[in-house]
Amino acid sequence: MNDVVLKLDKAQLTLSGNAGALDILRGISLEVTRGESLGLVGPSGSGKSSLLMIMGGLERATSGRVMALDHDLTAMDEDALARFRRGNMGIVFQSFHLIPTMTALENVAVPLELAGAADAFDRAAAELGAMGLGSRMNHYPAQLSGGEQQRVALARAAAPRPAILLADEPTGNLDGTTGAAIMDLLFDLRDRHGATLILVTHAPELAQRCDRIIRLADGRIDAEDRPHASKVAE
Amino acid sequence: MTLGTAARFARREMRGSRSGFVVFLLCLTLGVAAIAAVGTVRAAITRSIADQGAVLLGGDVQMSFTYRFASEDERAFMEKNAARISEIVDFRSMAVVGQGDAADRALTQVKAIDGAYPLTGQVILDPPMSLDEALAPQDGIPGAVADPVLADRLGLSLGDRFRLGVKEFRLSAHLMREPDSATAGFTLGPRTILRSADLAGSGLLEPGSLFDTRYRLLLPAGTDLSQLEAKAQGALADSGMRWQDSRNGAPGMQRFVDRMGSFLVLVGLAGLAVGGVGIGAAVRSYLDGKTETIAVLKSLGASSSTIFATYLLQIAVLAAAGILGGLILGGFAPILAGPLIAARLPIPVEIGLDLRTLAEATLYGALAAALFALWPLARTRDVKAAELFRDLGPNRRNWPGWRLGAILVALALALAGSAIILSGLQRLAFGTVGGIVGALALLALAAAALRFLARRFSHRARGRPALRLALSAIGGPRQEATSVVLSLGLGLSVLAAIGQIDANLRNAIAGDLPDIAPSFFFVDIQPDQIEGFRARLAGDPEVTRVEDAPMLRAVLTRINGEDARKVAGDHWVLRGDRGLTYSALPPPNTDIVAGKWWPKGYDGPPQMSFAREEAEEMGLKLGDVVTVNVLGRDIDATITSLREVTFETAGIGFVMAMDPAALQGAPHSWIATVYADPGAEAAILRDLSNIYPNITAIRVRDAIDRVSDALTAIARATAIAAGVTLLTGLVVLIGAAAAGERARVYEAAVLKTLGATRAMILGSFALRSALMGAAAGIVAVAFGAIAGWWVMVFVMQGSYRFEALSAFVIVTGGALMTLIAGLLFALRPLSARPASVLRARD
Ligand SMILES: Nc1ncnc2c1ncn2[C@@H]1O[C@H](COP(=O)(O)OP(=O)(O)O)[C@@H](O)[C@H]1O
Ligand SMILES: [Mg+2]
Repeated sequence: MNDVVLKLDKAQLTLSGNAGALDILRGISLEVTRGESLGLVGPSGSGKSSLLMIMGGLERATSGRVMALDHDLTAMDEDALARFRRGNMGIVFQSFHLIPTMTALENVAVPLELAGAADAFDRAAAELGAMGLGSRMNHYPAQLSGGEQQRVALARAAAPRPAILLADEPTGNLDGTTGAAIMDLLFDLRDRHGATLILVTHAPELAQRCDRIIRLADGRIDAEDRPHASKVAE
Repeated sequence: MTLGTAARFARREMRGSRSGFVVFLLCLTLGVAAIAAVGTVRAAITRSIADQGAVLLGGDVQMSFTYRFASEDERAFMEKNAARISEIVDFRSMAVVGQGDAADRALTQVKAIDGAYPLTGQVILDPPMSLDEALAPQDGIPGAVADPVLADRLGLSLGDRFRLGVKEFRLSAHLMREPDSATAGFTLGPRTILRSADLAGSGLLEPGSLFDTRYRLLLPAGTDLSQLEAKAQGALADSGMRWQDSRNGAPGMQRFVDRMGSFLVLVGLAGLAVGGVGIGAAVRSYLDGKTETIAVLKSLGASSSTIFATYLLQIAVLAAAGILGGLILGGFAPILAGPLIAARLPIPVEIGLDLRTLAEATLYGALAAALFALWPLARTRDVKAAELFRDLGPNRRNWPGWRLGAILVALALALAGSAIILSGLQRLAFGTVGGIVGALALLALAAAALRFLARRFSHRARGRPALRLALSAIGGPRQEATSVVLSLGLGLSVLAAIGQIDANLRNAIAGDLPDIAPSFFFVDIQPDQIEGFRARLAGDPEVTRVEDAPMLRAVLTRINGEDARKVAGDHWVLRGDRGLTYSALPPPNTDIVAGKWWPKGYDGPPQMSFAREEAEEMGLKLGDVVTVNVLGRDIDATITSLREVTFETAGIGFVMAMDPAALQGAPHSWIATVYADPGAEAAILRDLSNIYPNITAIRVRDAIDRVSDALTAIARATAIAAGVTLLTGLVVLIGAAAAGERARVYEAAVLKTLGATRAMILGSFALRSALMGAAAGIVAVAFGAIAGWWVMVFVMQGSYRFEALSAFVIVTGGALMTLIAGLLFALRPLSARPASVLRARD
């Protein structure tokens, strides 16, 4: 299986800050294949989150091309991007970003409802159950611990069975044990459903679990590494 | 130490703070300004009434009589005590231009004066000339001056002639200002001034016709007014003389200004309450944004009271600024608009700052700010350092605790108490305060019900994400719905109530009355004219009904030989003189509920039939003997029957009726009401006044127009005050929408990430606003109806009808405004790139 699900061609991102235009991504080209897990590492401020946002269509590249599942994200308007994400992209953030006025179950059901699934709540409940949150379904985010909130966020991203899972330092706000559990769930999702996983992290041991690691520095790809391949070679 | 620390924290905190403050300031400023402005104008009018008492009254003292001139004794009393005397006769008459069928006529209020008028002040004429010049005869025709409105109505140019009765007058100038017009009270026709001496031969002021005489006295310097009044009341007891002096030159106007002013202050207070909800919401939203700061300060060792003091200081500084702004705006705006306001008042008024008013407005403002800001402020005490690690929002207590609860109740009582005491309109103030509290309770209930229903039915909305998002935003743990429903609902409730009252008042005047009211009142019909008068109308097929009755004026002085006021208290029937009629037979449609009408041709001791309701109120029963003074003569009459009399239907109703023999020989005239087809009114008026030039006709429609004009002025003043409430409501609304913006920006970003289109997000925001608007609107309609009913029935003593149109307009207007404000503040959330929002929080 070698078909490409994500393809970036000289993607650039320039944001205008208070101190004038800021080049954040300076021409990123890369391809990600179906079922692959890709780790993005690099120092803080190197552009990892920005790259992930561009891949998810949450940010538009200033120039260059971003293709996802044969759709040109740079050519789509905001609503088209939103529709595209339904069922295709699941995104997990460092600070969870759950909707505070909805219970865990309702949060997980939202993307399914938006995608028009008739059994949205059943599937949401099943997903939460699989994450070990069967008893927390009717709690509001503020009533959950950080690890629980991130599991809800994970369930919300995974429930529509997206082809691509994007995760931006999903364990950054959690303690080590909880973080590891979240990571297990994340890789488990990829294994069970064959999703492509793109993971931003600055914990080296987490990056090591990925098939491929890309190191960013100052908005450019600095290095690329295939940890398992090299282990096999050794 | 703690206070110093708090002050330093407070200064640092306020540096970076924003638009929530604007809402806070505007809410307080508008409310205080409205109250201060109303009070400033009221104080200015009150002051000039007090300062210019003698000018307004036209003398140091005025003694007035109804239907007669002063008697010898009375004249002697005046001459003994006064330095100068002026005699004025005031009556209604018809001014006529042209002859026969081509004649044009208009009702006018005539003031016939002597050479001494005016004792005080100045009559201003156009073209400028002295009153003596204007009234002097030319070519044997006496001069007269008239209100331009009258000249206009009759098409009279200066120098033209017109008739009063059968006598000709020449219009020599327009009357621009009468110094003593404020004492005239409510008049039905525009004013004409002429010399009393010139009325000879006019056929007017015949015995029994309706006129008032006023004697203005200038007193020697140093006369004690209260002593003189006591002397006059003693010497001229029970003569029907009415006494007024410069201590209160325009009591009617003073009363009106007082009531109107208090009413408007209450409307302003309602506006302040609306603003108070905005203040509470602004403080709450500001402090919610500070949760993290507070948690950090606590983790660094700041005590709860340091933090409470930090934010209390900030709020106090803001409140002081808001109140000061309100005082400046409310105090100076009327001064700047002074010339404009003065032009609309019948007396010269100089508007200046009034300290008592400003103090009152400050008191209201400070109490309202404290009341509404303290509760959210107290919640800072409950913020735990642990919030740094977990959002504890929904677990925070809402109950303020016993101590703060007691303080809040005390503040509320102080606010309500000062409104009730300071307004002087106890009943209305009590109703207003109760109404606001009731409305807030009702709205809190509605908000709770809405939240409950939103939670209860959210599973029904599964699969319809826009609706479900709206429901979860309402029913979820954030309290946005409560504050929106409260602020919007209170604003709408106040407006709906004012709308209901206003529409009912207008209807009472314009809508209901003309259907049942007669076309004309005729007065001054001489006894020898009544047969001819009836004959003209009897043959007319367009006339549907005629009622007539003889009328005299009587003062009820004694009951069973005792002073009537000691027996029956201060009943309105005993205040001044009342209409008295006589009749051989019970008038048609009379319902005698007790006793018997006197037999036909009765010639014994005087008997009287009394109105049932008034008799009960005064404690009169069959067999009681009442003494009435009729034109100076005392008559003792025995009450032999009680009748039902309704005064509402604009027909002829007399409290007192006597047997004809008892009033034999007393000079009097007849009054009549004529119900006719509107098309026939002109011909009836022309015929009757051609035959009987002395008769005065009052077109009821014109009279109603005059009353409507007066009410329109009241409605306009109310509308301005209500406008301030509306503006406050708008600020509160925009504040609420702005406060919610941050949350919505975030929500929209998350939803977009999950695949929601902008249309769906917008639809969901609109649905949310619509649901909250509906809850607020339903309460507002219900509250408006209850408040409208209460005011109409218990304050105005009228009847109430639900005005659906007014309610509909106000509620849909309010809902629309919420929607627009909500959507305007949805634009940023919708256009924000999710990446920028979500990253900022990472
Ligand atoms: N909205 C913004 N406007 C301007 N510059 C931004 C904005 N957001 C992030 N940046 C800058 O872009 C650079 C890359 O940020 P980011 O992608 O978040 O880095 P990383 O995730 O690797 O820490 C940083 O230098 C950051 O300061
Ligand atoms: Mg990052």
